[in-house]
Amino acid sequence: MNYPIWQLGYPGGMLIAVIAILHVFVSHFAIGGGAYLVLTESRAYRKNDEGMLEYVKRHSQFFALLTLVFGAVTGVGIWFTIGLVSPEGTSSLIHTYVWAWASEWVFFVVEITAAILYAKTWATLDRRAHLTLGWIYFVSAWMSLFIINGIITYQLTPGTWLKTHAFWDGFFNPTFWPSLFTRTAMSLLLAGVFGYLTLSKGSSATRDRLVRWSSAWLLTGAILLPACLAWYFTAIPGFSRPYFGGLIAMKHGVRGGVTFASILILIALLSLLKPRAMRVPLMTVAVICALGLMGSGEYMREFVRKPWVINGVIYANDVRAEAIPALEREGAAAHARFVAVDAKADDYGRQLFVLECSACHSVDGYRGMRKRVSGWDADLAKEMLAHIDKMRAPMPQFGGNEADRVALGKYLASLNPPENHGAVTDANRMEIGEHVFKVHCGSCHTVNGNFRPLRGAFADASPDQVENLFPLLDSMSPNMPHFSASEDDTHALGAYISQEANKKVTAETPLERPVGGGIR
Amino acid sequence: MNPNGVAVPVPDPMGLPGPVWLMTALLLVTFTVHVIFMNAAFGGGLWTLWNYLRGRNSDHPYSRRLSLELSKALPVLLAYTISFGVAALLFVQVLYGRFLYASSILIGAVWIMVIPLVIMAYYGYYYVSHTADKGKLRTGLVMGGSLLCLMTIAFIFSNNMTLMLRPDRWLSMYRAHPNGWNLNVGEPSLVPRYLHMLVGAVAVFSAILAHIGMRKMKLDFEYGRWIVRRAATVFAAAVGVQFLLGMWLLLSQERRVAMMFITDPLAGSVLGLALLGVVASVVLMLVGAAAERPSSLVHAGFGMTLVTVGLMVTLRHLLRLAYLRPYLQQEVANVHPQTSVIILFLALFVGGLITVSYMLWKVQSAKSNSDTQSRRVAHV
Repeated sequence: MNYPIWQLGYPGGMLIAVIAILHVFVSHFAIGGGAYLVLTESRAYRKNDEGMLEYVKRHSQFFALLTLVFGAVTGVGIWFTIGLVSPEGTSSLIHTYVWAWASEWVFFVVEITAAILYAKTWATLDRRAHLTLGWIYFVSAWMSLFIINGIITYQLTPGTWLKTHAFWDGFFNPTFWPSLFTRTAMSLLLAGVFGYLTLSKGSSATRDRLVRWSSAWLLTGAILLPACLAWYFTAIPGFSRPYFGGLIAMKHGVRGGVTFASILILIALLSLLKPRAMRVPLMTVAVICALGLMGSGEYMREFVRKPWVINGVIYANDVRAEAIPALEREGAAAHARFVAVDAKADDYGRQLFVLECSACHSVDGYRGMRKRVSGWDADLAKEMLAHIDKMRAPMPQFGGNEADRVALGKYLASLNPPENHGAVTDANRMEIGEHVFKVHCGSCHTVNGNFRPLRGAFADASPDQVENLFPLLDSMSPNMPHFSASEDDTHALGAYISQEANKKVTAETPLERPVGGGIR
Repeated sequence: MNPNGVAVPVPDPMGLPGPVWLMTALLLVTFTVHVIFMNAAFGGGLWTLWNYLRGRNSDHPYSRRLSLELSKALPVLLAYTISFGVAALLFVQVLYGRFLYASSILIGAVWIMVIPLVIMAYYGYYYVSHTADKGKLRTGLVMGGSLLCLMTIAFIFSNNMTLMLRPDRWLSMYRAHPNGWNLNVGEPSLVPRYLHMLVGAVAVFSAILAHIGMRKMKLDFEYGRWIVRRAATVFAAAVGVQFLLGMWLLLSQERRVAMMFITDPLAGSVLGLALLGVVASVVLMLVGAAAERPSSLVHAGFGMTLVTVGLMVTLRHLLRLAYLRPYLQQEVANVHPQTSVIILFLALFVGGLITVSYMLWKVQSAKSNSDTQSRRVAHV
C-alpha cells in the first residue's frame, strides 16, 4: 500500500528465493568451512601430514574466493531484493533489528579480515598465530549466523514480541534454538561437501585420508540434521504444521530434501569405503544434492511462514495486518500511494491485482491465476475474495472493501472466457457436477478427502436436500460465501455431492484430489 | 490516495530504535570509510590499469612494479568497500528507508544489476591480482572490464541517491515504467554528481598513493619518490577538475537547497572548511612532493584529504536533509531507543576493533620479523 510495486511480470518472491538460496548455500559453507579449515590445519600439524597441509592451504584460497566474493555480495543482494519486493516488511525488520544487524556487521568485518589474513599468511605466521586467525574467523562467522538466525526466526515465530514489542522477546523466540542447531548441522554437512572440491587430481594415501575426513564432516551434519529438524518442527506455529501433511509444494519439498540428503549420505558412505571413487562426477552430484537440500530447506522455511512475511504483523503481500480494518472500511484506494490510487480508473481491478496479489501470483506463470480462477464469474470471485483467508491454500485477508472485491473479482473473472458447458443431460450431469464443485467448493472443501470433507454433512442426503441447503450457506456460517449459479449447474452440483457423499469409501479408494495447490 | 499529487510512504510505525544523532553519526562515519575504500578500490584500479598498460613496455619498470603491487591490494580494498557500504546501507535504511525503498523500486530493474556487477568486478580484480605479473593484455582487458562494472555501479548509485531525494518525480516516473526500467536522467545534478564521485576517487587515491610512496622511499628512495611525484601531480590535476565539477554540482542543485549554503551557518561553515581543506591539501601535497627529498608535508596533505572527504560526506548529508526536510518531521518524533542492544552493539564494536587490530598487529609483526630475517640472510 505504502510503496510502489515493482511490476516484474512474475512474483518478486521468486527473485528473493533464487538469490537467497544461492547465498545461504555459500554462507553456511562459510561457517562450517571455517571450522573445517582450522581443524584440518590442526590435524595436519598433529599428524605431521604435509600433504594435508598443502591441501588446506589450497582449500583456504578457494574458500576465500567463494565466500568473500560470492557469499558476501549475494548477502547484499538479499538486502537489495527484499527492499525491492517487500519494502514494508524490510522496513519493519530494520526498525526492529537494526542494532542486531549492526552487531552482525561487526562480526562480518572481523570475519572478512580474518578470512583474508588466514588465506594470505601461511608463509609468514607461526602455526599458533595462524590457527588463532582461523578460530577468530570461525567464531565471528558463527556469531553472524547466531544474530541473523534471531531475526529470521522472529519472522516465523515472533512469540511474546507481539505483545511486548521488546527486542529480546522477538530475538530469542520459540524457533531460535532449533533453527540455530539445524543451520549449524547444515554448515558442517556443507563443509564436508565443499571439502571434496579442492582435492588433488591424482591418487594418494593423503588424498584418501582427506576424502574420508570430508565424508566424516558430511555425515556428522547429516546425522545431526534430522534430530534438529524434528525439534524445529515442534516449534513452528500451529497453523503451518498441517502444511507438511497437506500442501503439495511442501510434500515435494520434504521428498526432495529427503532424497538429496539420502544421496549425500550414500556418497559419504561410499567414499568412506572407496575414497578413490571421489572424482569430478561424484563431486558434482554431491554439490548439486547439497544445493538441492539447502534449497528444499529454505523453500519449506519460507513456506511455513505463509501467508506472512512477519507472522501476525505483515502479510506476504506486504500489507500490514493492523491495516486491514481500515482497508475494509475505506477501500484500498484511500490508502494506496502508487498503485490502485484511483478507484474510478478503468483498470482499477487489474491495479488491485498488482497491489494485493502480485507479490506471490502471476497471471500465467508462477502460481498463475488464470488457471486458478478458471470457471469463476465475477460474483463468485467477489465472494471468494471476501473469504480468501479461509481457503485451503494459505492466503492473507483481503485488504479492501466491497467495491474493491467487485473490481478485483471482475478482473479475475475476465482472465478466462465465460464458461459454456452446454445443457445438462443425464449423461453429463455428474461430470458437470464435479466441475461445478471444483469451481465453487473445491478451493475450500473436498467431499471424501482430508480437507474440510463434506461427507459427514451430506451422508444420506438426496440431491434435492443438498440443493436446498445452497441458498442458506452464507446464513449458516459467516465463513461461507453466498452461493449463486445457474439452475442447471445447481442441480448438477446437488446430484454430484449427494452421489459422492453416499459413495462407499474403502481404504483402497484413491484419496480425492483437491483443486489447485492447497492442503489435501 | 494521491491520484496526481506527491506520493511519499508513511514512516514505519515501529519508530526509530535509537537516537537520531547516534544513527546519523554511525551513518556518516561508516559512509566516510566506505567512500575512502571505494575511492581506493576504483581510483586504485585506474592507477593499476594505466601503469599496467604502461609497464608492459619494458622502458617503465616502475610502472610495472607499481601496478603489480597495487593489483594485490585491489580485491581487499573492494572487500572493505562492500563491508562498510553494508553498514552505511543499514543506517540509511533505518533513517531514510521509506525514501530509499521507493526510489529503488522505481529503478528496480537497474538497481538489482548492482549485485552481478559487483561480483563481476570483484572476480575481475582477483583475476588481475593473480595474473598481473605475467603482463598479458588479457589481464589489462579484465581490469578494464572491472573498472567499467564499477563505473556502471557508481552511475546506478548516483541515480538512486538523487532520485530518493525527489518524491515529486516518483508518481509520473512509476506510471511511465512500473517495471523498474527507469533512471533519474532528468535530474540536473546527476551528471556532475556522478563525475564528482569518479574524479574524486582518482584524487583521493592519488593522495593515498603519495602517502604510500613516502613510506616506500624508506626502502627504495627513487621508486618511492617517483610514486610521490606522480601521485601528487595527478592529485593536483584531479582536484582542479573536481573544483570545476563541484561548482557545477553546487549550481545544479535546486535553488532553495543551494541557498542553504548562504543562509544556514552550519552548511556554509562546512562548505567553507571543505574548500579550505581542498586548497590546503593541494598546497601541502605539491610543496611536499616538489622538494628534492619529498617532505612530510605530503603526509599532511594526505591527512587533510581524508578530513576533506569527511567534510564532503557531511555536506552530502546536509543536502539530503535539505531536500527531504518537508517530509521528515514524523521520524524524529517517534524514537524508542533499544538501550541495552545499543550498549551491546557499542561493546561489540569496540571488541571488533580490538580483534581486527590484534590480527593486523600479529600479521604485521610476523611480516617485519620475516623481512628482517630475509635481509639478514641476504646480507650473509
